[in-house]
Amino acid sequence: MQLKSQPAVLRRRLIAASCALLTTSATRSQEAPEGGFVGRLLKEWQLESALAYYHENGRVQAIEPVVSASHDYDDGGNVSFNFTFDSLSGSSPNGALPSRAAQTFASPSAQSFATARRLYNVAPGNLPADPHYSDARAAFGGSWTLPLERLTRVTLGGKLSIEDDFYSGTFNAAIAHDFNDKNTTLSFGISDEADVIKPIGNTPVPLSNYAAFDKEGNKSKNGVAALLGLTQVMNRYWLAQLNVTADRFSGYLNDPYKIVSVLDAGGNTTGYIYENRPEVRTRRSVYLENRVGGARASAGLSLRYMTDTWGIRSQTAQVNLRWWAAGRQQYIEPTVRWYHQTAADFFQPWLPNTTAPATQFISADSRLANFHALTYGVKYGFDLSDKLHRGGIRAHRTRRVLSADTQHQHCDAGLAAGTRSVSEPEGRPGAVRLQLLGA
Amino acid sequence: MTAQFPGGGTLTGTLSLQERPGGLCAVTFSAMASPCEVLVDIGDRALALQLAGLVAQEAWRIEQKYSRYRDDSVVAWIHGRRGSPCVVDAETAALLDFAWQCFEMSEGMFDITSGILRRAWKFDGSDRVPDQATVTQLLSSIGLDKVRWESSELLLPAGMELDFGGIGKEYAVDRAYDILAACCRHPFLINLGGDLRANRPPSSGTWRVGIERPDSDRSAAMLLDLEHGALATSGDSHRFLLKDSIRYSHILDPRTGWPVANAPRSVTVAASSCTEAGLLATLAMLHGDGARDFLEEQGARHWILQ
Amino acid sequence: MRVRTSLIALAVGSVLLAGCSSVGVKPWQRDILSRSDMRPDGAGLDDAIDEHLYFSKEASSGGRSFGGGGCGCN
Repeated sequence: MQLKSQPAVLRRRLIAASCALLTTSATRSQEAPEGGFVGRLLKEWQLESALAYYHENGRVQAIEPVVSASHDYDDGGNVSFNFTFDSLSGSSPNGALPSRAAQTFASPSAQSFATARRLYNVAPGNLPADPHYSDARAAFGGSWTLPLERLTRVTLGGKLSIEDDFYSGTFNAAIAHDFNDKNTTLSFGISDEADVIKPIGNTPVPLSNYAAFDKEGNKSKNGVAALLGLTQVMNRYWLAQLNVTADRFSGYLNDPYKIVSVLDAGGNTTGYIYENRPEVRTRRSVYLENRVGGARASAGLSLRYMTDTWGIRSQTAQVNLRWWAAGRQQYIEPTVRWYHQTAADFFQPWLPNTTAPATQFISADSRLANFHALTYGVKYGFDLSDKLHRGGIRAHRTRRVLSADTQHQHCDAGLAAGTRSVSEPEGRPGAVRLQLLGA
Repeated sequence: MTAQFPGGGTLTGTLSLQERPGGLCAVTFSAMASPCEVLVDIGDRALALQLAGLVAQEAWRIEQKYSRYRDDSVVAWIHGRRGSPCVVDAETAALLDFAWQCFEMSEGMFDITSGILRRAWKFDGSDRVPDQATVTQLLSSIGLDKVRWESSELLLPAGMELDFGGIGKEYAVDRAYDILAACCRHPFLINLGGDLRANRPPSSGTWRVGIERPDSDRSAAMLLDLEHGALATSGDSHRFLLKDSIRYSHILDPRTGWPVANAPRSVTVAASSCTEAGLLATLAMLHGDGARDFLEEQGARHWILQ
Repeated sequence: MRVRTSLIALAVGSVLLAGCSSVGVKPWQRDILSRSDMRPDGAGLDDAIDEHLYFSKEASSGGRSFGGGGCGCN
């Protein structure tokens, strides 16, 4: 259940304002507050929680509980906190291609094949994936909005995330101003992220031979982002928002666990090298969202276009439709999302062993490939009869399909030697996300 | 049993005690031009009278301080200093802060400077509806954003008026409640002219509250069971204008100067304080036929009579 | 070329802003707009969970707000 104790914004401000009025210069009531400390906490803070369960094709699964607490001040300010715990396990593809022959890999913590505590074998024709992949993450975030004057607000926020091999701290600040009778809002924000990467088994030297186990020390990366947004009330039933964002990340942008298969002319895998990505990535995106609503239904349509200096261009479109049953106590909301991206300039599913990698950038990570994804899902929400709590449950399913081009490239290696064509697992239907929103 | 009590200022009044079913002592008096009563679940009648006296004193104190009809009120004093800054006391400052926040959060729907509209609108059941020109002229003297209010200093421009009538009664209920709650362990209910608040249920289980139906010559009042908390009712009974078979309710929208179209006849809201309930009821009435949707969106328990 | 694109963007932006002043509603017409499903940030936790999942599987992120993921899953 997603339970939120949630009177609407106006009422929360009114409750805060009434409390302020009634406790000034008066004998305070000595009657114990209803419900004691917990009761008071529930009244003043809006609490929300959710539990997400993610399952991918029998491969990876993740459980992610999230809780958030928010408090509105009577002057329109707000403070909120959230805490997330993320637990992933399963098998994660390492970037190498399936081969005619069996393949053996060592888990990331290994220093050599001889001393490795955990090796995993991949049968001929199977996609190499580390079956012992597991990761746990805890993240904590907070944000504080304070009104500068009647029509202007400043928001400051921060986030801290901790994993075994990755530490991240983010700080952001934004300012928003209303005009045209509060029909138009202009906002501007900046954000700064600093990450430290300490891969398990140490950072591999980029482009080095996988079997050499050449490692170096810890890495870091840094990102700055800026956002300019315009929100406009079009009419009584329609709100539109247009955001333009740009960000620039620099530092160690590789995935330390991903390798690239090296193939000979006959399509046999002769070895692997660690991937290498440029040290700078700049992205720009434009985002348009529309919300249209009536008494019993509402719809949202959003579009996003992104380009970056790695040669990736992406388009995203998402539609949700919400229908309330009579009495506005329950609703059903189907969603559809379509996503497409082009490949990074340096994306290559495999490398011919005749090329000297030298200072080349190369990655076989399918998240940099050309693919499209279709997600469809439905959400059901309801109000409890005490009118103070709400619950919900939703389920989504995503299907990702690599472009025909990329699939052909995978095939090239195989065709030359007679193996069957393959496609990446994320390309097969079946990434199911079942989200149980819980209290 | 009756007693004379001196009020907070120069107001005095009479309190009468009766026994009600269920062993309740009911003490009635008159304040803010409305019938008021205090119900206490107690056997000691003298004590009940004393407790009710505290409530009556507080009600009369607030009436004398904030009534626009009285020359010795703070409101009259502020009006006498229009055009120049004046420093108000802490209680008035708190009320002004509250009124300002309500003005902002309701986006102008709730406005304590809108009282001057009564010069154009006299709701006496007749058909004398003012013309647009009169109303438009009054609008130029309405708008809390025209009043300068900064840390205890108030500057009311010439021609404008302040009227605490929209929150006065509910505020008095909450103040009186705090006073009684600090010294009285017994269940009690304070009712000032239909705005009421109770601390806990009486021994009979609940407080039986009757909301008068708008056309009172019809069936009996709507009965509600209240355990604790506050109820406030906003209604238009007996005050209206009738012209060309259109009924103009006495709920005026401060932004247009005209009555709200299709306002419900009566809105009752339950909340934990009377001030909160009263403001929600007032705002609901101002939403006209959107009253129900407004109250549902705010998540407030409500009863609407058409 | 970059300068020209920026100038065009600035011009379009100014026209948009100027045009915005004539579009909108009166404060008492905000009944539907104030509902949580009509506000871009109304879905709160749901959106945050979605963003995190898409960030871990795709090369794009953000749009509604900042794009950084703040986690090691990509």
